[in-house]
Amino acid sequence: MKLEGKAKMLRIHFGEDDTWKDKPLYRAIVEKCRELDIAGATVFRGIEGYGASTLIHRSHLLSFSPDAPIMVSVIDSEDKVKKLLPYLDEMVDEGLIAMSEVEVIKYVHQGAARS
Amino acid sequence: MLKAGPAKKVSIYVGEDHKYHGHSLYSAILDFLFYRGISGANVVRGIAGFGADHHMHTMRIERLTENLPIKIEFIESPDKVDELLPKLHEMVGTGLIEVQETTVVKPSEVANKSAPQMSTPPLKREGKAKLMRIFVGENDKWRDKPLHKALIESMRANDIAGVTVYQGILGYGANRRVHKETTLNLSHDRPMMLSIVDTEEKLKAYFPILDSMVQQGLVVLSDVDIVKYSHDYEEEERRKEARP
Repeated sequence: MKLEGKAKMLRIHFGEDDTWKDKPLYRAIVEKCRELDIAGATVFRGIEGYGASTLIHRSHLLSFSPDAPIMVSVIDSEDKVKKLLPYLDEMVDEGLIAMSEVEVIKYVHQGAARS
Repeated sequence: MLKAGPAKKVSIYVGEDHKYHGHSLYSAILDFLFYRGISGANVVRGIAGFGADHHMHTMRIERLTENLPIKIEFIESPDKVDELLPKLHEMVGTGLIEVQETTVVKPSEVANKSAPQMSTPPLKREGKAKLMRIFVGENDKWRDKPLHKALIESMRANDIAGVTVYQGILGYGANRRVHKETTLNLSHDRPMMLSIVDTEEKLKAYFPILDSMVQQGLVVLSDVDIVKYSHDYEEEERRKEARP
């Protein structure tokens, strides 16, 4: 896996309770990314937010099942990211997908460092 | 007030248990110096030593109250030292007084509360800047310290304008290993993202340090516009004063 220079960053925003085929949507997206050999994906849970539905997502101290805002961040080359887009379009039916340009400074893992 | 230039450094060696009019000698000397307007004095307790009586004073476990050596040190102008010495001579009893010629390079200053110590923030308030994101794992280490913590400390030390750490709940990266948060799992290895905003030059200057610290992970850079970057110094001062 090599990644350097100009790349694209995808940020996908939706709710924690969103699902795809009976599985949390964020997990489904990460699995899809792995399947497509995307360089990496990270899921973040926000503590408060609102989005397309204008419904406020908020995590309460005493509530264990909030529909917290979720952000999945995916970084890879433009063509790899573009391959992912049609799947995302199908999977995310309520949310936001944003793409921005990034410059890769470093992308390493220990296996690569040793070999 | 002590000024830069030639001065005298006085060291007084006494025992911790020595008394002066029923009170401990070193604190009596310190009080004397304080109320005679000396610009500053330090008391240092040694952990072992011996003096004129050739009795070894140590900090042994079997003896909790031992007469440990105490050193009182202060720096003053020669005139002031000459004025105080007779009284000190009378106070120290069996102790030792030593005077050295010294030079004050920079006198200590009284902190001016009205003027903020850091008047210029490390980043301009608006304009073009770079956003750097660093993706690492929660269990990644740098010299036995969590990597994300070590990175924050090193950024602070290198005057980077600011950094925020985000903890992810799921992810995978360069090593293809899935980092997952499970409710009953105590040995987390969650993905961590550090987000840093600063000028391109500052970040570029920091890259070599970052490179040596991050053994596995991803670092990306993107353009941002700074809309606001400010800090309320007066508020901070008020908070400091409120603290006991």
